[in-house]
Amino acid sequence: MKTAFWMQAGGCGGDSMSFLSQSFACTSNLFQALDIDLLWHPSFSCIAMQDQKRLLEDLAAGKIPLDIFILEGSVICGPSGTGLFDTHMGRPRKDLVQQLTMQADTVIAAGTCASFGGFGADGEAGSTGLQFHKTRPGGLLGPDFRSGSGQPVINLAGCPCHHDVMAGALAAAARGTAMDLDEYHRPREWYGTMIHQGCTRNEYHEYRVEESDFGELGCLFFHMGCAGPLVPGPCNKLLWNQQSSKPRAGVPCFGCTDPEFPGKNPFFYTQNIEGIPLSLPNGVNRAHYMVYKSMAAAAAPLRLKKRTARV
Amino acid sequence: MSSKSVRTSLNIPLNRVEGDLEIQAAIEDGCITEARSSGTMYRGFENMMTGRGTLDGLVITPRICGICSLSHLTAAVEALEDISGTTPPDNARRLRNLALMVEMLQSDIRQSILMFMVDFTNEGAYASHPLSSLLMERYAPLSGTSAIQSIQETRRLLEVVAIIGGQWPHTSFMVPGGVTSSLGTPELLRCCMIIENFQSWYEKNVLGCSISRWHQVDSAQAMLDWLEEKESHRQGDLGLFLRLAYDAGLDTMGQGPDGFLCYGGLPLPEHTEVKGQQGQFIPAGFARHGSIQAFDPANIAEDISQCPYSQKHTSVHPWDSSTNPDPYAPRENSYSWIKAPRYNGHAVETGPLAEMLVRRDPLFTDLIQRQGSSVLSRQLARLTRPARLIPAMLAWLRELSSNPQGKFYHRVKKIPDGQGAGLIQAVRGGLGHWVQIVDQKIEHYQIITPSTWNGSPRDGDNNPGAWEKALEGTFIKNPENPVEAGHVVRSFDPCLVCAVHSLHRGRKKGVLVLGGGF
Repeated sequence: MKTAFWMQAGGCGGDSMSFLSQSFACTSNLFQALDIDLLWHPSFSCIAMQDQKRLLEDLAAGKIPLDIFILEGSVICGPSGTGLFDTHMGRPRKDLVQQLTMQADTVIAAGTCASFGGFGADGEAGSTGLQFHKTRPGGLLGPDFRSGSGQPVINLAGCPCHHDVMAGALAAAARGTAMDLDEYHRPREWYGTMIHQGCTRNEYHEYRVEESDFGELGCLFFHMGCAGPLVPGPCNKLLWNQQSSKPRAGVPCFGCTDPEFPGKNPFFYTQNIEGIPLSLPNGVNRAHYMVYKSMAAAAAPLRLKKRTARV
Repeated sequence: MSSKSVRTSLNIPLNRVEGDLEIQAAIEDGCITEARSSGTMYRGFENMMTGRGTLDGLVITPRICGICSLSHLTAAVEALEDISGTTPPDNARRLRNLALMVEMLQSDIRQSILMFMVDFTNEGAYASHPLSSLLMERYAPLSGTSAIQSIQETRRLLEVVAIIGGQWPHTSFMVPGGVTSSLGTPELLRCCMIIENFQSWYEKNVLGCSISRWHQVDSAQAMLDWLEEKESHRQGDLGLFLRLAYDAGLDTMGQGPDGFLCYGGLPLPEHTEVKGQQGQFIPAGFARHGSIQAFDPANIAEDISQCPYSQKHTSVHPWDSSTNPDPYAPRENSYSWIKAPRYNGHAVETGPLAEMLVRRDPLFTDLIQRQGSSVLSRQLARLTRPARLIPAMLAWLRELSSNPQGKFYHRVKKIPDGQGAGLIQAVRGGLGHWVQIVDQKIEHYQIITPSTWNGSPRDGDNNPGAWEKALEGTFIKNPENPVEAGHVVRSFDPCLVCAVHSLHRGRKKGVLVLGGGF
């Protein structure tokens, strides 16, 4: 039996709500099947206050082993580094987070806010991630932090994080499987491909059949601000709520798995030079890309130009 | 009890709310005499919006809240349509409404079963209750049969939002002029089946009767008769709730201010079989002293006398309001960063109960006339709201199926400079986004959420907010386990991540602290 403690900090609770849509098993069976004793979850637990206090003290003192610590939401450090913009019973919550991570065998950051700071990373809330501040290693715990298992914080990026990524990471932690991580400590298993992969609009992208307004069937990358080819994630591979993804439904990907999310540029708009996006798919040469795309557009079949292929 | 007044200091956990809430209350002789509510987190969303692209509210504001992100999306898009003078086509109305209603069903069920009913598994308070073993069996966290079912059923239901808008939570499929895609016949059929399945589960397990039978219940007496009528009525989650509620005195507990505000929402398509008032499925209005007045947004003002904001005016309309937190403001009078919104100067409550009163629902009108608002009436409105929503959802799906090729988007070239507001009935009550665009950028963004109304602190005249008021007079049987105070606050379905201005401020000595959750 492994213990797990799920804490919410500077966030919206959306990762917990997403988690309830995971498809591994019925959520209550999931914990049983993985032999996880969920000591605390802020939305589901019902424990008397004095028992909560005792639990926290015992965990901090190492009397109860803490196998898996999950943080959802950013670590709020404002104002002026005091952390008083987010307190728990009068104490800055960031201190509590730090204390528990020191005891944990595996530390999981659920969502972009916990991973990289997300909303509030540039703002007065003074938000930061557990081990990164946007792209910069550090965050609350510092670049050298390693949990009991020897791993750094596992960053399950996304706003919210995909439900099956959270379930999968929990399963891996429960069964002691180490994750192969990318430069921002996101597991390659889920963040090794672009969001673009599996998008039903791919054929439109391929032949550069573009959209410049909502409601059409073409590709959203060239004008509508879709970050699908730019950022990694499994949205079009695992699908959301077992059904779809934003780009499939005509909503551009906003790049929420990126450490810089939400960024400063306006959404729904692609920054471009002469109709070619400023940011090109990871690793692509601009000159080659321009030649390739103009040839592709010339080769586009009529059924795509006429938008007869459903997405 | 001795004649000498006894002051006590108590603790109960108030997790199972979205966000962080701590309530300090003075207790005398076991009775709450004064309560002060404070959120414990400040995220600064409004100020994040200034200077951003005109459409960015559609992406950023849903992320204020993980349980009601579509409510924020709806308010954000309506504000932009107000500025641009756009009306979406009928099919876009239907798809937007459907998605928002799914979110309401999801939230009403999860709040009721996973967050409210769980308090009846509180061993200290209900261990000796005759129903205690049944309550554990049904509502124990993550293992009770009703808890498991409500997670499964709401999960399935949310697939409808993903089919319409790509994912839940945090999609942005509502855009000025309509929605980003339409549904084909197979998708519409799938949505229809999902909602019909949900209806069957809701009728069998929650209501214990058909939706049409429940709608015959039109008075407090009719509700008691309904409860006696059949075993299935007593065994459903609704029946169990009512039996427990009357038994625990929840019908006289938690009386809030006599003011109920509903902004109205779910605009009707131009051509539809669904009936509404004022062009909306949920009518707008302000109920007070048993009568209903028209709702006028100009009557909304934010009072910041008790909040540490560096501003000159103490009561301002959201157009003129800003959010400038001053953490070093003197602490004496400021205890919450939640601003105190007032309607015509009145503290009010908002949510499903206000919605039922403003739509002149006979059962709720009768309940309130008899004894004012209570934990029972508030939670009952939430638990039975799905019965109001489901028939309209199925009607809109039928209308979509009869015209799947209908327009779902009008081109809106760009959002002009100007100001506009999106005032809607969100999951938890009145939600407002006030937006001003200057030079193609967001100049001003103010948000008043339902929990800002319900969890409001005192105003300049020292009038308490809704749940502060509702806590006054609550008798706490066991100071070590004040479950009654939890019932009262939870009946408002607090969503503190939404109270975007909130920040905890200090603590008074010798007071009850309702707080916690990590």
